[in-house]
Amino acid sequence: MEKDIILSVKDLHVKFTLRGQELHAIRGVSLDLYRGECLALVGESGSGKSVFCKNFMGLLDANGFISGGEILYNGMDLTKLKKPLEWRALRGGEIAMIMQDPMASLNPLKTVGEQIAEAVRLHQKDVAGRSAVREKVLGYLRDVGIGEPERRYKQYPHEFSGGMRQRVVIATALACSPKILICDEPTTALDVTIQAQIIRLLLDLKEKYGLTVIFITHDLGVVANVAERVAVMYAGQIVELGMAEEIFYDPRHPYTWALLSSLPQLGERGEELATIRGTPPNLFKEIRGDAFAPRNPQALKIDFVMEPPFFRVSDTHYAKTWLLDPRAPEVAPPAVLAALRSRREVNGP
Amino acid sequence: MAKYLTKRLLRSVVTLFIVTCVVFTLMRAMPIEGYFQNYEKLTDAQIQAGLREQGLLDPLPVQLWHFFQGLFRWDFGVSHTYRTNVPVTEILRDKLPVSIRLGCLSILTSMVFGIPIGTMMARHKGRFFDKLGTVFIVFIQAVPAAVYFLLIQLYGTTALGVGLLFDAANPRCWILPVLSMALGNTAYYAMWLRRYMVDESNKDYVTLARAKGVSENAIMFRHIFRNSFVPLVQYIPSSFLNTIIGSIYVESLYSIPGMGGLLVTVIEKSDNNMVQAIVLLYATVGVIGLMLGDILMTVLDPRITLAGKAGDR
Repeated sequence: MEKDIILSVKDLHVKFTLRGQELHAIRGVSLDLYRGECLALVGESGSGKSVFCKNFMGLLDANGFISGGEILYNGMDLTKLKKPLEWRALRGGEIAMIMQDPMASLNPLKTVGEQIAEAVRLHQKDVAGRSAVREKVLGYLRDVGIGEPERRYKQYPHEFSGGMRQRVVIATALACSPKILICDEPTTALDVTIQAQIIRLLLDLKEKYGLTVIFITHDLGVVANVAERVAVMYAGQIVELGMAEEIFYDPRHPYTWALLSSLPQLGERGEELATIRGTPPNLFKEIRGDAFAPRNPQALKIDFVMEPPFFRVSDTHYAKTWLLDPRAPEVAPPAVLAALRSRREVNGP
Repeated sequence: MAKYLTKRLLRSVVTLFIVTCVVFTLMRAMPIEGYFQNYEKLTDAQIQAGLREQGLLDPLPVQLWHFFQGLFRWDFGVSHTYRTNVPVTEILRDKLPVSIRLGCLSILTSMVFGIPIGTMMARHKGRFFDKLGTVFIVFIQAVPAAVYFLLIQLYGTTALGVGLLFDAANPRCWILPVLSMALGNTAYYAMWLRRYMVDESNKDYVTLARAKGVSENAIMFRHIFRNSFVPLVQYIPSSFLNTIIGSIYVESLYSIPGMGGLLVTVIEKSDNNMVQAIVLLYATVGVIGLMLGDILMTVLDPRITLAGKAGDR
């Protein structure tokens, strides 16, 4: 795969001021996004997945701010953008977003067609005239698999089911003709059968429109289906980054181990599911050492004192854990993870 | 739509019918002094004769029947103590148009000012304009209306060069009363519109619109404004009634021959026929106001279907 970097984040720090206190939500994240790939950002709630991506669109909440680092896109440093006008040139047309709750992300008082047409008019200036815009919108509705687009065009969001609304939201994003599509847990609010359809659809559209996709989720099952590359986030940092294969079958960070072990698919019927003890750290306080150490039963002494750097496992695989240091003792991943590997040998990669 | 309207209209008629019956029945429990001009001087026999003559000794259903018959002839009886033997309709015919004009103008004025103020406050939330607007709203709501009514009269009449007394033919005479009456609703509209708009602006679809690259102004006017206006719009027609009834003080300040204080006056004089007619009139205006509010809302919000069942439009 040719590696053409489309978006590059360097040592990004994001803070929020809440009731006079500062919350350090993103603690130094670096990440290169390659053109045409599908990258999954995985982590539990509050790990900073969504906040991280909101920076690419200038959509941080008013009390949040970037306290360091840079985000390079098209030779621009997005952290330097201040004016709404500069952001608007980027929003939609370069980077578009799909949000979690399709029930809430459409304007209830405007027809579905109008809402998609709004995006077309904003970002596809070459499509002129009412009927041309309409044709374009109908095309997008067809692309996202909505039957009878002519009739659906005139309908309001409340006349659509959840899955159908998410399709409309996707159509709206496509109508912006973006280069990067951020999907912020697009299937979380949908039931399982619809989830699979939406994921399939997103993958098809990614090919058709040549999109680069960032897929935010806490559902590892979804990740396995969509992602080429996976970044595992914990407490505002990426702790492990690698190809999907590497993350699933050769994970190196104790947090990734714990996350994978708690997959219900790996549990034995009748046995208690593996869980991660404790709660994520309080980001209001300064974190010393490895943020996951207090919840990690096999934590090393150094984990409580010094923050580990990224260790290289392969060209594509990096993990932020002291276990990869040559001086570290041998700590074996949990036995259940072997089940994942054996399953792969049965099913093929 | 037509089906819904007919249904709604019929239901309103039923409501009014019930209101009429209740009011009429209750009025029979009122003291009977109000049916005579010189009650104290009459003998019992004269009173009984008078009551029989006015049909008030008939059984209640018969009286009600006669009342409805009168209603269809546009006859509400005559006033006894307020203005002797003048038909109620005639008294109201002089006063009602003044009140309606005053009410309509003041509602219009409060919309013309209240809606932009609310919108601007939401747009500049937390900044200078928002704070200024809040000061205005709090002032209007906290200070007794009488205080600023007097201030407006005191300085307004001098500034405009009009007399203290109202002259319906002089348009400039309308300005101050209309303005006074509009202030309360202006603050009300501004306050609620701001609140609804701020609520709306925190919703996901606004974030999505922003993510689409829609400009803040377009978001404000194309998306948020209309959505926030829906809950407010329902209130506007019914606020008309409050405005007319609430105009009592303004009307007495400028000696406007309107409806404002009429109900209180005729109740004090126990002029039963007048009370009956006015209560019915207010009930009608109220019911129509509520109906208009609901209709306006269904027009603005597609989620509220007219037919009652979603999907069969």
